[in-house]
Amino acid sequence: MRTVTANDGRMLARIIHLAHRFGCTYTKVAAQHTGADYRMEFAFAGPGDALRRLDAQITKLLDDDRETMG
Amino acid sequence: MHTRTGAAIVLDTLESLGVDTVFGYPGGAIMPLYDALYDHRIVHVLVRHEAAAVFAASGFARSTGRPGVCIATSGPGATNLITGIVDAMLDNVPLVALTGQVRSTVMGTDAFQEVDVAAITHQVTKRNVVVRSVDQIEPALRAAFRLATSSRPGPVLVDLPTDVLRAFEEARAGAAAEPAATRERPRADAQSLDAAVAALQRAQRPVLIVGGGTRWSGATEIFRSLAARIGAPIASTLHGLGCADPGDPAYIGMLGMHGWKRANLAVQNADVLVALGMRFDDRVTGDPAKFAPNAHTIVHADIDAAEFDKVVHAHVKLHGDLRETLVALDHRLARVTLPSFEEWRAQACAPHEQLPRDDARDGHLSATDFLDALFAALPEDAIVSTDVGQHQMWAAQRVRASHPQHFLTSGGLGSMGFGLPAAIGAQMAHPGRTVVAIVGDGGFQMSMAELATLRRHELPVKIVLLDNRNLGMVRQWQELFYNARYSATALPDNPEFTTIARAYGIEARLVDHAEASAPSIKRMLQSPGPMLLHCACYPHENVWPIIPSGKSVDDLMETIPA
Repeated sequence: MRTVTANDGRMLARIIHLAHRFGCTYTKVAAQHTGADYRMEFAFAGPGDALRRLDAQITKLLDDDRETMG
Repeated sequence: MHTRTGAAIVLDTLESLGVDTVFGYPGGAIMPLYDALYDHRIVHVLVRHEAAAVFAASGFARSTGRPGVCIATSGPGATNLITGIVDAMLDNVPLVALTGQVRSTVMGTDAFQEVDVAAITHQVTKRNVVVRSVDQIEPALRAAFRLATSSRPGPVLVDLPTDVLRAFEEARAGAAAEPAATRERPRADAQSLDAAVAALQRAQRPVLIVGGGTRWSGATEIFRSLAARIGAPIASTLHGLGCADPGDPAYIGMLGMHGWKRANLAVQNADVLVALGMRFDDRVTGDPAKFAPNAHTIVHADIDAAEFDKVVHAHVKLHGDLRETLVALDHRLARVTLPSFEEWRAQACAPHEQLPRDDARDGHLSATDFLDALFAALPEDAIVSTDVGQHQMWAAQRVRASHPQHFLTSGGLGSMGFGLPAAIGAQMAHPGRTVVAIVGDGGFQMSMAELATLRRHELPVKIVLLDNRNLGMVRQWQELFYNARYSATALPDNPEFTTIARAYGIEARLVDHAEASAPSIKRMLQSPGPMLLHCACYPHENVWPIIPSGKSVDDLMETIPA
């Protein structure tokens, strides 16, 4: 399970697309708008190497997401 | 107090961020911005297709290190940018794309030229944003520039509905133009730096691989200094070309699929590999399981932690801005004694190695001979762009770029049609320099309309068109790997390119035999304006060596198998 907090709610779609690209599936997706940002929970399944790469990419996306773009 | 339109705010903000040149193509939704451009100081370069706008912005960025800016209207204008945006994403090019959008009130109604470009580009930009109100324009643009240039650079798209561009804002009179802030960069930790030093102290056959991260972090100078201190052979990725001093006797050239044999063998035999700002692309590694099989330690330095262990497992990971990493590494190495790698370097450098080549037959011009003559004649500070294909690899094998911003090529995406517009962007950034676009007949025909852009802006770009009347790289693979079944690769119906160039008012000359090469190159370089050299080349010349896709250096081919 990975919990993510993002400014941009579209991060949900981006992460799902990434999971597909890496050949992973998701067993749980939940999202909630908390006012200032979005809280998302994901559970993924797939090959260990793909899951590790997916996790690294999500971390990078969240780093860029910290920048507020209006 | 005074009021500005959203469009004026866009241009004022761009100017305050240091933008002096933009590349674009107008259309309905973006018209307010073009109206503001009409009498603004920012120079607008009108291209003939939006794809050229984004490639030109990329060429500007690649040759300066500063973000390139391109503009397109909504719908097809925006979608025509996408290949160039992906190209910038894969090659880490700082780019800001501004797209017009239909009025906010009709977004979502399938209005004329409406496309959800934010959704389309979501996966291929660092970020994008649809600006919903005029007061969001300036913060959005400033954030876009910070994002495009920070950490691992890349493209950011800002979508601007036409009503937002037309809206007025009460602006703060004399508002200070704050410079784009640099986001905090990660720094390699001391333990990993010490481990890298220890690996080099234990090494007997180390190899340095320099990649494109070196150029984007401004680390060329410190890299050269560090490389001299270590004294190991230096191989380069495609995007690392120019980072190493091409005159350095330790430099062994580009590695990978079409790299020098000595570079691939050195990596094959290395016991310690130090990979700097590179991502172990499949065109570099071939089969990753067989890549650098003798390396007991691989040190990987990169600003993007997601690159670590993505393709090749690294034993030592230096996560941080590369320039800062190399400075820290250099300080540590200054305090220790490294073994002498002189014998290994002499063995690995194979100074007499020649690139294998096909002889041109029947009196045809050899493309590789021509490129050898061209590179020998170019001034040291010339900027060379390439398109994609055989000519790109021949150029990459031979170019002796003295700086990474002198060689511009589409590496990750391999986008045909890149070469000429990228040269336009570079020439706009460097009006006094020699800029040469080396293109093939396939790629040139994807961007040929930009001859009009050269003429319009009086840009003295030199075009070297290596015309083998084939989509040469695909033809070569068909010859080698598809039983010589040449499906859709012959271009016997190519036009008379010199006639086309002249129709645009551009000087052109046909080169169809070896003796014409040197005088034609001399004439081209002396020409004050743009010029096209149409080189009619031997059609079956291949790029050698080649490591077939997914294979290793053990499978390296230097000629067609008997």
